Amino acid sequence: MSRKLKISLIIGLAMIAALTFVFAHWMVAPGDLMAGHAELNTNCFACHSALTGADSGKCVTCHKLSEIGRLSSKGTPILKAKTSTQFHQELNAQNCVTCHSDHKGVMRYKSKGQFNHALLKAETNAKCQACHQLPSDSLHKAMTGNCTQCHSQTKWRPASFDHNAYFALDEDHVATCVTCHLANDYKRYTCYGCHEHTLANIRSEHMEEGIRQFNNCVECHGSGNKHDIKGGKASKEGKRGKREDD
Amino acid sequence: MPFAFLLGLLAAVTLAGDYFLHRLDLLWVGRYLGILGTLLIICALYYSARKRKWVSKGNPRTLIRLHEFGTWLGSAMVLIHSGIHINAVLPWLATAAMSAIVVSGLVGKILLKQSQQHVKDKLAFFEQQGQSQVDIERAMYWDALALKTMMQWRKVHIPIFLIFATLALGHIFSIFLFWGWA
Repeated sequence: MSRKLKISLIIGLAMIAALTFVFAHWMVAPGDLMAGHAELNTNCFACHSALTGADSGKCVTCHKLSEIGRLSSKGTPILKAKTSTQFHQELNAQNCVTCHSDHKGVMRYKSKGQFNHALLKAETNAKCQACHQLPSDSLHKAMTGNCTQCHSQTKWRPASFDHNAYFALDEDHVATCVTCHLANDYKRYTCYGCHEHTLANIRSEHMEEGIRQFNNCVECHGSGNKHDIKGGKASKEGKRGKREDD
Repeated sequence: MPFAFLLGLLAAVTLAGDYFLHRLDLLWVGRYLGILGTLLIICALYYSARKRKWVSKGNPRTLIRLHEFGTWLGSAMVLIHSGIHINAVLPWLATAAMSAIVVSGLVGKILLKQSQQHVKDKLAFFEQQGQSQVDIERAMYWDALALKTMMQWRKVHIPIFLIFATLALGHIFSIFLFWGWA
C-alpha cells in the first residue's frame, strides 16, 4: 500500500471516528428517541450507562413508579393514560427495557400490548383482581379468584373451560357457582349444596341400585337428567356392587 | 461459480433470511447472527495470515476455499443482521464497506482463476517445447502477468478490508458501550 493511500485512509477513518463522537445520535443510535424524550436525543448517557446499556435506575429518577400512568415525569396529570392500573411498583425486577424501548428503530419491532405477567411479584401475580376488573356478567360476578383455572395470562379469550364438557347446566341447575364450587375452587365440586341432593337421599337412591361408590357424580351423570347415565369408571371397574337382595 | 451467481445468491439469502426472521418473529436471532458472521469472517482470515507466513499450518489451497466460503457466509449473516432498516450511520457504513469487499473478493476469485489458467496454459506450452522441468519452473516462478494482476487487485482489496475492519470495530465498540447484554 502506498504511503499516500495509507495517509488518506487514516485521515478518512479518523474523520469518521470524530463524527461518531460528535454526532453519536446519528452515527450509532438506532433511530431518534420517542417524542417525550426528544430533548435527550443527543445525550446518550442520560439513559445509558457505559458497558451496561440503558439503566433503569436512571429511568426512575424521572419516572416515579407510583406515578406512572397518573403523572408525567414533570408532575403534570396525564389526561389520556394508557392504563389506569398502577402496577409498576409491583414488578419483581426493575428492568424498564424489558417492555419499553425509546429508539424509534427498536420500537418499530417491539411487540405492542404484550405484558409478561412473570415480571410481577409472585403475590401480585396470584391476585388478578389487583389489576384487572372483574367482568360484570353473572358468572364472573360470583367469583373472587382462581381466574387462571379458565383463563391464561397471555389471552383472556379463549377461556379454556367448557362447563358442558363436565356437566351440562340445564334449567334445573341454574345455580350460583359457589353452590357447587365451594370457596370458588373450580377444581372441586359438590352436588350436596342444594336441597334436592342431600347425602342421605343420594346414598339411598344409589344403594337401591347396588351402587356403592357415588362420590364423583359427574363420572356417570353428564347432566341433570337422571336417566342419562354414562358408563363411568365405577361401572367399568365393577364398582356397582352386588344387589343386596341378590 | 460465476461472479453474478454468487452475488445474486448473497442478495437472495439476505432477503430470504430477513423475511423469515420477521415472519417467524425471531428478530433476536438476527442480532446474534451479526456476532456469528463476524467470528466466521475473522476465522476465514486465517488464510491471509497463512499467506503472509504469520502462521505455518494449513494447506493454502484448502485455506483459500475456506476463506472464500467463510467470508461469503459470514457476510450473508452480517447482512441479515443489518436487516433492511436504516437507523444509525456507522453500522451502515460498515455494511457498505463489507459489501464492497465481498464484490472485491469475488472479483479476486475470478482473477485468481484466470491467473491459474494462464499459468497452466503456459506450463503446457513449455512442456510441448520439450523444456526440462527445472527450466520450466524457473520460467514460471515469476510469471509477470499473473503476479501483476493479483498485486493490482490486492491494492484495492486490502484497503477496502481495512476500512471495513475499522468501521466494524467502531460499530462493535459502540454496541459494547451502549448495549445492555443482561
